[in-house]
Amino acid sequence: MSDIATRPDLIVAKPVRRRANLLPYLLSLPALIVCIGVLIPFFTAVWYSLEAYNMAFPSGRHFIGIGNYIDLFTSGEFWHTVALSMIYMAASVILELLLGLGVALLLRERTKLNNVISVALLMPLMVAPIIASLIWKLMTNPTFGVYAWVVDSFGLTGFHWASSPGTAMFTVVLIDIWVNTPFIMILLLAGLRSLPTQPFEAAKLDGVPARFVFFRITLPMLMPYIITATLFRMLSAIQEFSIVYGMTQGGPGNSLMLFQLRSYIDFYQNTNVGRSAAILMVLWAITFVLSKLFVNQWHAMRARSNPGA
Amino acid sequence: MRNPVLKALRVIARIVIVLFFMFPIFWIVLMSFQTNAQILTLPPSLIFKPSLANYVTLITGHLQTSVGTLDVAFLQNLGNSLILSVGAVIVSLVLGVPAAYAFARFRFRLGEDMAFTLLSLKFAPALLVLLPLSLEFQMVGLDNTYIGLIWIYQLITLPLILWIVRGYFEDASPDIEYAYRVDGHSWLKGFLKIAIPLARPGIAAAGLLAFIFAWNNFIYALVLASGDKQPVTVGALAFVTASGIQYGQIAAAVVLSIIPTLAIALYAQRWLVEGLSLGAVKG
Amino acid sequence: MNDKIKDTAKEWLAGGMSRRGFGKRMAGLGVGVAAANFALGGAATEALAADFDWQAHKGKTLRLLLNKHPYANAMIADLAHFKALTGIDVQYDIFPEDVYFDKVTAALSSHSSRYDVLMTGAYQTWQYGPAKWLVDMKPYLQDATKTAPNYDWNGIIANLRASDAWSGVPGEALGSASAKQWAVPLGFELYNVSYNKRLFDKMKLEPPKNLPDMIEIGSKITRDAGNGIYGVSVRGSRSWATIHPGYLSTYTNYGAKDFDVSGTTLTSAVNSAQSKAMNKLWVEMIQKAGPPNWATYTWYEVAQDLGAGRCGMIYDANIIGFFENSPGNKESGHIGYSAFVPNPDMKQSTSNVWIWSLGISSFSKEKDASWYFIQWASGKNFGIFGGVKQELVDPVRETTWKDPAFKERLDNGYPGFYEAFEQSLPGAKIYFTPQPLFFNVTTEWAASLQQMVAKQVSVDNGLDKLAAHIDREMKSAGI
Repeated sequence: MSDIATRPDLIVAKPVRRRANLLPYLLSLPALIVCIGVLIPFFTAVWYSLEAYNMAFPSGRHFIGIGNYIDLFTSGEFWHTVALSMIYMAASVILELLLGLGVALLLRERTKLNNVISVALLMPLMVAPIIASLIWKLMTNPTFGVYAWVVDSFGLTGFHWASSPGTAMFTVVLIDIWVNTPFIMILLLAGLRSLPTQPFEAAKLDGVPARFVFFRITLPMLMPYIITATLFRMLSAIQEFSIVYGMTQGGPGNSLMLFQLRSYIDFYQNTNVGRSAAILMVLWAITFVLSKLFVNQWHAMRARSNPGA
Repeated sequence: MRNPVLKALRVIARIVIVLFFMFPIFWIVLMSFQTNAQILTLPPSLIFKPSLANYVTLITGHLQTSVGTLDVAFLQNLGNSLILSVGAVIVSLVLGVPAAYAFARFRFRLGEDMAFTLLSLKFAPALLVLLPLSLEFQMVGLDNTYIGLIWIYQLITLPLILWIVRGYFEDASPDIEYAYRVDGHSWLKGFLKIAIPLARPGIAAAGLLAFIFAWNNFIYALVLASGDKQPVTVGALAFVTASGIQYGQIAAAVVLSIIPTLAIALYAQRWLVEGLSLGAVKG
Repeated sequence: MNDKIKDTAKEWLAGGMSRRGFGKRMAGLGVGVAAANFALGGAATEALAADFDWQAHKGKTLRLLLNKHPYANAMIADLAHFKALTGIDVQYDIFPEDVYFDKVTAALSSHSSRYDVLMTGAYQTWQYGPAKWLVDMKPYLQDATKTAPNYDWNGIIANLRASDAWSGVPGEALGSASAKQWAVPLGFELYNVSYNKRLFDKMKLEPPKNLPDMIEIGSKITRDAGNGIYGVSVRGSRSWATIHPGYLSTYTNYGAKDFDVSGTTLTSAVNSAQSKAMNKLWVEMIQKAGPPNWATYTWYEVAQDLGAGRCGMIYDANIIGFFENSPGNKESGHIGYSAFVPNPDMKQSTSNVWIWSLGISSFSKEKDASWYFIQWASGKNFGIFGGVKQELVDPVRETTWKDPAFKERLDNGYPGFYEAFEQSLPGAKIYFTPQPLFFNVTTEWAASLQQMVAKQVSVDNGLDKLAAHIDREMKSAGI
């Protein structure tokens, strides 16, 4: 290593190339190996999705190729689920992003008060979603709930929160915002505070308007963080289960039958492993494409903001 | 802040935000000092005689309901959550931080594919992986063990830590590390003494978030472990009893289960805020 | 143990001595209360043990998978007696009801040998049985070397025994000759009306006589009671659990069936004329007198509204009325019970039932010992203990229902409970057609009901669509 130490330009030089190339593998392989154990069952699950497999009919289990997928793609209910999941994801992630960014900007300065508030705002994230939905179900229940009571007091007596098809999506997205905005907020806050101070000082000296600073300096520099936060939120939001299941079990009617609810009910209640697996494989494919898009974007951003690296 | 209107708006925005996010928490804390009969009244009242009964129930492990006494294992659940979440985050940090460093510092064959594979854990359909996984775990004797659970918890914690920390390593200029090595220090020392401290806010934020998500999970332990290894999330559901939902105890359980996470958040906050030399370094 | 003490205890058990006399004699023998109780347990154990080798599996260990429920608590409270009787050690894992069946499915589908005995409902056995996850207990029941002579299988209410037995052929009646006994009843619940007597008295109301009457009284409460109190609470969440209680009992009472069975083909009958008539009334009831957030209502919300005085009455499990009348709730002591015959043209109610039952896992390594446990838990002695000392208040054995101490307890603390039960019992059994897609069908059914109540679809239209959906699902499963 002493060669590299004394001559940084030697990192790509011939004599040490082999060692320098081995190092990243040594560093990253353990993490990969740990994953393999989890990825083996994944292939078993792929196989399930190609079978007619209901655990209550063990004798009827057989390979049907893409039969489950054909059934799904020709069913209106399934496309309804795809659309709902997309709406849920888009609504919750966009609103959380805007709100999270706003809060992060408000708390950007390193004052004692801001630090206290930022930790306090993390608390909703610490309430497990499955418990949060229990509490929200109580708070929005017209017979006892404090929120329902407040809304009633404003004369909105017909507002039935999660139990009416018209407001169910609004209610669960609201809870999602409450639970998950802190996640985006803390990531963006950490990002904001780690931005170099120089460009901002320069802009200040030049008297650049605040709006210009925000759109031309802050936002572009923060973009990699925004993309990371959005990616993780999107992956979770399209797979949302706990909040929706806790509030409405997918109802009223089919108004909240998201991917995970459909596959959960098919697996644990209907013991229809084949169909449940196929639904999740479609979900997996969507998340795969989304992730690819975002990761490519992330690399592009990186390349732009660190041209030298 | 030259404009007073703008300043007032910012104050109002802050108040609204704190209200929106903190009111349910405030309400949970209130409920934790109320009896179920007090909680289930309308209009809700802010004036009541606070009682510690809910907390006593959780700590002594005996729940008195209208139809007899139930045993609750809440403290055991709390302990399990700590073991599982702390264990999962430590393993993820040990595995994920060097890997993140490798992906950020080196361009190597299959590197991006490996990084993406690790991210793909985040979109593995957990529900489905669980059935074959429990069969696999039984074969190798990992079912109903903390180690097996901590392993599967990597699905939650590892991708998060890896990708967030990678971002911070990418932002930190390698020049300081090189300069440090020029002084005759080894690569390992440079990694430990320079790279890691520089990425500290990222590591702290990622570790904290990973801890929270691990803490909130319940499906893995539910499926893969027996009753004595269940986390607080399952423990809190135990207050949904046949004779009614014991909201007071659920609220107290939430308060008690937030405390460890909050303590870690406050501790990590020091690093998030004070240890931030990154900006100065880059500027 | 001293023989004299034993004899005294035996004499008491045989009924030859009053409890006071027993206490006195024991005191005379120098035995304290605790020791006397122990002797009582020991003697009971021995009485039970006559002519049967309860100790055959001594030294073995059983693991139970239990749901957090008063019925499970009753078993746990008396485990020491089972251990003393058999020498079998018992450990248990207890999970909250919200996640209990997920845990069962997870444990059984992974063929885990961890659990020997588990709690289940009858509907679940329609999946677990054909999936080969449960042991058929018929051979045990017929084997005199494995079943105690005084177990008295036939002493368990016949409809309940039959409800836990099914041949596995879709549409074939429960309890048929070829049926397998997948589970054994532990305790159950039937569906009638529990109401807030205080409120009914104040508003000068009588409990409803039938469904139209329920709509009228319920509407009146919603309109006039004030402070947001509404008429009738029933479940409404998007779940099979919404269909099986009051809803199916009423459905059946109006002459509707879930399926038309011809040979091995099942055709959905949810859009029959009877069903449409009944559903129109049911939907009207919810719209006019039901809980405002009905579509999110589970058992828990129904119970909580009754106990907190937020609704006039509930049409759900009779044991909810028991729990909410017990101390600790706002309306404790104010709950009344009424057998309910929904159809004005009918004399007898047709209550569907939910049966908490015990089954043996196919993957258990101690099946014989497991059967010992089930015999004990569904036996006479434990039944009386659960009914008198614990909250096993819809016991499955006639010996418990006829037990004077049991009746006395109910009459003192829960006036009217016993009579309402007695009136409902003759018609109480499972009215669903047994078939393994029970959960598909009923979950979809609940979703349709929600759409009808929300006026997204008319009742006629909704039921036609539901029938088509069910037929499609059945066809794709080959039924």
